[in-house]
Amino acid sequence: MSGNRNYDFLIKLLLIGDSGVGKSCCLLRFSEDSFTPSFITTIGIDFKIRTIELDGKRVKLQIWDTAGQERFRTITTAYYRGAMGILLVYDVTDQRSFENIRTWFANVEQHATEGVNKILIGNKCDWEEKRVVSTEQGEALARELNIPFLEVSAKSNINIDKAFYNLAADIKKRIIDTSKNEPAASSGVNVSQGEGSGGLGKCC
Amino acid sequence: MTSDPLPGRAGSPTGSFYAMSDDEEGEYDTITHTETGRGVKLLYSKSKVYIHPSPSAKDNIPGFVALLQQKRPRGERPSSSSSTTSNSPIASDLLLAWLPESSLGDAASIYVKVDLTDGDSPPKQSFLVPPPPTVTTHRGSVGAYSFAIPVSAIYSLLVRPPSLGWWFGSVVINTRVGDSFPALFFHDSECQSTILQKKKRARDSFDPFGEGGQMFWGGDEVLRWLKRYVRIEKSAAEPNIYLVEPSKEDSEAFGSKATTSTPSKIGRRDSSQGVSVGGAAGASPAGPSGRNDAGMDPVTKFVKETGWNLMEKFSKVTTFTRRTAQDLIENPKMPPQVRRLMINPEVQTIQDEFDSARIYLARWAMGIAEQSERDRNQRIWTARDVLELEDTDVGEFELLETSSMSLDEKRKPVNLKEWKSFFDPQTGRLTMTIDEVKERILHGGLDPDDGVRKEAWLFLLGVHDWYSTAEERKAQLASARDEYVRLKASWWERLVDHGGEGEEGEWWREQKARIEKDVHRTDRTVPIFAGEDLPHPDPDSPFSSFGTNVHMEQMKDMLLTYNEYNKDLGYVQGMSDLLAPIYAVMQDDAIAFWGFQHFMDRMERNFLRDQSGMRNQLLTLDHLVQFMDPKLYAHLQAADSTNFFFFFRMLLVWYKREFKWMDVLHLWEVLWTDYLSSSFHLFIALAILEKHRDVIMTHLQHFDEVLKYVNELSTTMDLDSTLIRAEALFRRFHRLIEAIDKKQNFPAPRVRTSSPSSAEKSKSSPPQKDSGKAAEQPKMVISPELRKLLSRQVDVLPRKVVQKKGDGLAAEARR
Repeated sequence: MSGNRNYDFLIKLLLIGDSGVGKSCCLLRFSEDSFTPSFITTIGIDFKIRTIELDGKRVKLQIWDTAGQERFRTITTAYYRGAMGILLVYDVTDQRSFENIRTWFANVEQHATEGVNKILIGNKCDWEEKRVVSTEQGEALARELNIPFLEVSAKSNINIDKAFYNLAADIKKRIIDTSKNEPAASSGVNVSQGEGSGGLGKCC
Repeated sequence: MTSDPLPGRAGSPTGSFYAMSDDEEGEYDTITHTETGRGVKLLYSKSKVYIHPSPSAKDNIPGFVALLQQKRPRGERPSSSSSTTSNSPIASDLLLAWLPESSLGDAASIYVKVDLTDGDSPPKQSFLVPPPPTVTTHRGSVGAYSFAIPVSAIYSLLVRPPSLGWWFGSVVINTRVGDSFPALFFHDSECQSTILQKKKRARDSFDPFGEGGQMFWGGDEVLRWLKRYVRIEKSAAEPNIYLVEPSKEDSEAFGSKATTSTPSKIGRRDSSQGVSVGGAAGASPAGPSGRNDAGMDPVTKFVKETGWNLMEKFSKVTTFTRRTAQDLIENPKMPPQVRRLMINPEVQTIQDEFDSARIYLARWAMGIAEQSERDRNQRIWTARDVLELEDTDVGEFELLETSSMSLDEKRKPVNLKEWKSFFDPQTGRLTMTIDEVKERILHGGLDPDDGVRKEAWLFLLGVHDWYSTAEERKAQLASARDEYVRLKASWWERLVDHGGEGEEGEWWREQKARIEKDVHRTDRTVPIFAGEDLPHPDPDSPFSSFGTNVHMEQMKDMLLTYNEYNKDLGYVQGMSDLLAPIYAVMQDDAIAFWGFQHFMDRMERNFLRDQSGMRNQLLTLDHLVQFMDPKLYAHLQAADSTNFFFFFRMLLVWYKREFKWMDVLHLWEVLWTDYLSSSFHLFIALAILEKHRDVIMTHLQHFDEVLKYVNELSTTMDLDSTLIRAEALFRRFHRLIEAIDKKQNFPAPRVRTSSPSSAEKSKSSPPQKDSGKAAEQPKMVISPELRKLLSRQVDVLPRKVVQKKGDGLAAEARR
């Protein structure tokens, strides 16, 4: 190929969290800037692409979306290992989804690549009258887990871009900026192989 | 000059006609041949050019379009001092011909050969073929549409490239006498030479554009042939008209310099206006008269010049939803050239780096092909269609078995009247064999509109016994209703205290919330589930602000009841997808519940916590693809895609998300027959793979690409052709297994028993690429997974397994 890619780096992200917290909606908002209230449940696995610019570099984000129900975890954990960043999503109107974040976090620790970047996301923050998880509770949990935190709303398009950009920037810092001297590693981490190197799909 | 129709010599050609002379181009001399009526020189030919005599595709006549050079009668031969040399024929020497494949006889191989020679120049060798009957007007042509017209007798060509409206590009020849020949349709996807030329263009120059800036297609070739010898001028007045050796007046009136003109005159000239037939012809010296691309419109020009830029823009297309993309294609403001660019598969080959866009474009192209397939198949599928399905590596599809009924009749849906005729009017007992009924449903499906599904599905699902009487069924339904009410009551009690204390209460509340969420996200585009006319009964529900409707509430009740009924498994995401069609057909919660419960018997394995049921099916699919299409399998292996995860969704909910709602109903009733195999859904998967194998093998190199492509097939696929393909694949599979068994049952020098270990081979160790050495000693092992595909017995998990792996309430309690 002519090596003339339309991006400089490829970063793979993964969305996890309980069923119905709005993972697909966040992804749809970020990748297509749209929102559908009556969405369909996610079965299996899918991904979407958006290329963003970070420090003058074009970074292609490949964002994997998974089914939330625990029953499908055997399938979805297969995708943890290729991910360079993980968004742990809960719903601020759903106490249980917040409590389950610890379980999700433990899952990540167990299955994902070591050092993978994470971010805690509290979705549906526009829905104040239904809110049961306060911002402070979210912040406290993030501190405890030692990961960044943002409240977002896919519906009202609050902080969605910021969440993805922040995570991507952290990953870029961790991998690209620190491994500058290393020769270009594997190009493209294949999720299905679960290549655990955490290497970055760096092209050209 | 008049054309010189060679005296009719339709007689059976002798072998010498086809003798290929080794003469070099310049030394070509056919005098002897023409004098003895022995043949004309075939300069160019192109295969799979059709005449469509009727709107029905089955009447299409395949043939060759060809440019032939005939020898002038001796007297008219220019002297050697003439500027015209013998190897640059003039317009009157050239014949543009169309010949049906069926008329070519032994000469067919020569046409094929010339078709496949590199089209840049006429073949070095002289290929001689029998001269076709020559005419100067359409009226003069005889027989099955075949004709050969001297190029000098052609006034203009109407050239319509393929486009959204015209799936096949076409060329119409308008004669100087003023009439037109039937349109010649270029079936580019079947034409080997066009396929090769397209590839070559893309490879050599990254320029998939034909002359004039549009996508390259077969008709471009014909223009190119002609331009080598005669002057072709694009009409400025009408974009798709090309004037052949126009006279000065014509050129001024209609040609590229024209400013005013009456377009209608050009396409079909009034014969009264007649330019004398001999007029313009012959006079101008031969030779390519400068490519005329003045006609290229600004948009096309822009696209051509800034192609790379544009491609980059297209890569952004990946961020559109399908709907947006579709809108884009349908947007009338979108210039057709751009639209064509977006849907033409050729685009992908020049923009590999825009990988995601490539997949989208490939899908679009396939989508258009689907559409055209649907359009062409407004009529009922016939056995012929099966034969016409494109070849794949699994080989020719063959005729389905024919029984007393013709295939057309077989493919007619079973309506309520026919269904009732299967039963004894007095007792209501089935009077046919179960297989007879099932075969009818397998091939015809059930009438979607007259309510027959409501009855027939209960038999297919196993709610009714096939040989029950009407009386028995009535009693059975009554007790089923009672039983449903009883089951429902068991969780009503829980409502009082929201499920109660402890783990069981916790589990129940979680399940209830899950069902609530999922029902509000299930098939909301289907009318009965769309409305939100009822206030939500539970103010605490996350959906209380949206409202609900009676059908959604029934769905929730049925799923909660099932959750209670099958505590070992509980409700799992995906089940709402399985229930919705059954409920929509029955529109009776108690009956739908029992239909669903029976359906779940076979689907339970999909929802086990360890996913073993799904894994087994994916593994079987792996074996099946490996067995039926090793080449595709090897490609998938190289693309790290033999985990077949991209079929996960399809298998989990039986293609519910892949086909349109009404098609899903049809597909499920076909699958429920278990007529060919209780695992026929895996042959559907194989059929889908086979349909897309070319795109997959050409364009998809990585797992994520394959997954994306397959996921995006959702709701774009044509069900009828998929079913036919799946059945053909099943029959082939069956025969292959039989053939192998037969071989192994005969005393052979070495009898090999299939190693049991292969059955246990888990997904984690698929056959490795580097085990290629095993291929040296071909070893056909039929895995138990494959053999099971021949079984019509539905697998129902033993209760013990569900208890152990179900992850329902019991599992919750164990934790």
